[in-house]
Amino acid sequence: MITAQSLLQAALNGLILGMIYVAIAIGLTIIFGMLRLVNFAHGAFYGIGAYVGLVVAKKAGFGAALIVAPLAVALFALALDRIVLRRFYQKEPTAQILLTFGIALMVEEALRMIFGGTTQQYPLPSWLGGSIAMAGLQYPAYHIYLAAAIALVVVAVWLFIRRTNYGLLVRAGIRDRTMVQLLGGNVRLASSIIFALGAALAGLVGVAASPIYSIDPGTGFNFLIPSFVVVVIGGLGSFWGAVLGGIIVGELVSITQLVFPPGADVIIYVVMALVLLFRPQGLLGETEVIKG
Amino acid sequence: MKDLRFYLLTALGLAVFPFVFHLPLINGYGGLAIQILIVSIATIGFNLLLGYAGLLSYGHAAFYGAGSYAAALALLRVFPQVHSFALALFFGIIVATLAAAIIGALVVRLYGIYFALLTVAFAQMIYFIVFQWRDVTRGDDGLQGIAAPMLNFGFAKLDLATTLPAFPLGPFGDLSDVKYWYIFVAIILILVLAFVRTLNRSQFGEVLGAIRENEERSVFVGFDPRRYKYAAFVISGALCGLSGALRVLYEGSTGTDSLTIDQSGNFVIYTVVGGVQTLFGPVVGTGLIMWLQNVISAKTEAWRLIEGAIFVAVIIFLPSGIIGTFAKKTFSLGKVLRTK
Amino acid sequence: MANTILQTRSLSKHFGNFAANADIDFAVNEGELRAVIGPNGAGKTTFFNLLAGFTPATSGTIVYKDRDITNASGPQRVRIGIAKAFQTANIYPSETVEQNVRLAALARIQGPFALQVFRRSTRLEAIDTGANRALDRVDLTRLATTRAGDLAHGDKKRLDIAIALATEPEILLLDEPVAGMSIDEARRTEQLIKKLATEMTVLIIEHDMEIIMGISDSITVLHQGRVLASGTPAEIRNNQAVQEAYLGGHTESELAG
Repeated sequence: MITAQSLLQAALNGLILGMIYVAIAIGLTIIFGMLRLVNFAHGAFYGIGAYVGLVVAKKAGFGAALIVAPLAVALFALALDRIVLRRFYQKEPTAQILLTFGIALMVEEALRMIFGGTTQQYPLPSWLGGSIAMAGLQYPAYHIYLAAAIALVVVAVWLFIRRTNYGLLVRAGIRDRTMVQLLGGNVRLASSIIFALGAALAGLVGVAASPIYSIDPGTGFNFLIPSFVVVVIGGLGSFWGAVLGGIIVGELVSITQLVFPPGADVIIYVVMALVLLFRPQGLLGETEVIKG
Repeated sequence: MKDLRFYLLTALGLAVFPFVFHLPLINGYGGLAIQILIVSIATIGFNLLLGYAGLLSYGHAAFYGAGSYAAALALLRVFPQVHSFALALFFGIIVATLAAAIIGALVVRLYGIYFALLTVAFAQMIYFIVFQWRDVTRGDDGLQGIAAPMLNFGFAKLDLATTLPAFPLGPFGDLSDVKYWYIFVAIILILVLAFVRTLNRSQFGEVLGAIRENEERSVFVGFDPRRYKYAAFVISGALCGLSGALRVLYEGSTGTDSLTIDQSGNFVIYTVVGGVQTLFGPVVGTGLIMWLQNVISAKTEAWRLIEGAIFVAVIIFLPSGIIGTFAKKTFSLGKVLRTK
Repeated sequence: MANTILQTRSLSKHFGNFAANADIDFAVNEGELRAVIGPNGAGKTTFFNLLAGFTPATSGTIVYKDRDITNASGPQRVRIGIAKAFQTANIYPSETVEQNVRLAALARIQGPFALQVFRRSTRLEAIDTGANRALDRVDLTRLATTRAGDLAHGDKKRLDIAIALATEPEILLLDEPVAGMSIDEARRTEQLIKKLATEMTVLIIEHDMEIIMGISDSITVLHQGRVLASGTPAEIRNNQAVQEAYLGGHTESELAG
């Protein structure tokens, strides 16, 4: 029986889920749009963030975890970039997919070995608990805080990319690396920063979302494919496309869960297939990107 | 003469293979050799698409799984009276080929990451449909307890589960460790290898290689890349279907694990590790990694990490895979191992 | 005697708001050697790409021998007889020179697709003939077994032409065939183009005015995506508008050359 209330709840759930997708997808899309790197390891950043956050939260509290985890993930991403990924920036997407897929496998297994394969619950600090009443519904307050926080972060990242030199450098560097370097721009540094930023975003939401979705080593990869769906729908390389796509996908899944439960898993793949077949550049992407 | 060398070497290798598992360090079990050969057929099919056509699909489990479920259902529901080995096999192949024909038509317009993602989308759709459609497929319980029919040659019948007569072979065990199943699958594998080898040297293979190397030029010389890629896709799907059908007939069961992204990922790993553009690479890669997955997994928790590490190491340091690198370095043996 | 083999009417190509080619009316007769020139950014390569089917036109028509081919695909145009040699030599680097042309000859014989999974191309004699002839025409026979990627720049460009020739075209589009070549190579290529022009219709984009003036039957000048002028070399040389358009690039004395 679908009531107005259950619909509202589904819509809210969808929004939260959507925002989580947004946070992961933004990293994916700026890494692709700016570095031309297809990153199948992005889910690993989420996973590492979640587990590092768990460890830190137990010792120093949730607030500390929210700061330390993204930093740890950023450091890991920088190390990965320096040691391995550098040489693959110019290679074909196929090679990139394979490499990052392999890295994702290794990270997932390493996490499993260190923390065990069982799902871990994440205790929510009391000051973030409670629920908010809206339209006759008692909705967990933390979910709302999370959505709001992610929205703020999204805007902050956007400003960072647009207003500072780093984003500009990387975007220009894609067009003409030599020229930018001749002009004194440090493309490499900017690229590393962008990569770390994207990773840190995923890591941040890894911690922040853990109280809602408990943690297990496979969670990162479980979020990865839907995040790619989001990016495709929004348009590979488009920042606001990722935002729009994330919310759309989140709502789609949540409402389908309510209206037609067996379809909830499949719906995102159906939509992705439709987008890829009829409008591969997505809602906000550029038309030229598709061939090769 | 090169042909004869190929057949002899392959037959020799396959004849020795199951006994290698008796060696103390390697420590496999009898059935593993058969499983490896069966999955190798799918990997060879996958390599046709990745190595020869240059297309990375992350959804090939769809055809492997489709083949296995189709064969299983053929025996259980569709033709239960006609308990026929050949029928189940063909049914599996045909259903998988049909799926590849439909999906392939849609998929080959795309490139790179878009291609990969669309294959994932279709594979996931099939996975979830099979998962939900419990009436027919029993969902994640899978289909179990399927008695394999005997091979019917008309004049005689053979139960493939029977073993060869006893004959001690020292540290390599005994001849009776080998079932007729192994010989059967080995013969099929040789036929598949011969087919792919012929295909690669054929006109079709030549054009496919040209398209992979420089698609733009191929278009402006007058070839239609899309149709070539489509043909490669369908053939690869058919081979995966054959493999899936054999799996069901051998193991007597199948499940949704044959349709997952993990399974698709397995094909990718086997192929890349073995050697992407080689003939034997898929077999070697399947053998090595499946051994890791089945034997080493009992010894250490870290086996999956090792698997991942091997995969990454190969991509970075040995991009031609194990056989590919070996083929480049060792010239005379290499010429046999290479595809051309 | 001279009939129009290829013509365009109001052919345009827009990339977003930018008009790379606008309203181009163009006609070339069978057997002509037509040069297409213009300052950088005039839209010459875009024009060739439209003719070869590399990119679809935004509007206008392309007619080949009374047949509207505006919507024909690249492979279809090759079958019809329009072949293009690329500005940056577009070859198969890991194959031998011989194999490069054999592929083109194979395409000529088998068409856009053939499911010949058993037959080898070595069995088809027509491929040998076609390939050898193409190599012979560009004088690359002595390098037949060399790996294409290892060729010198000039040889790569000639291989590109050979590949186009192996498809037995009636119209050959050459996009800056002598660019980056040494004087010697350029001379040889010029001779080659002259010879080819006696056998088929040739359209050529070039910046080297000496060559253009020396070999062309007629010239079309493009400027900012439009046709600025069209006529014999002498007419173009004396054309006021052309000289003005070129003031940034070539001088009057070069044009007179």
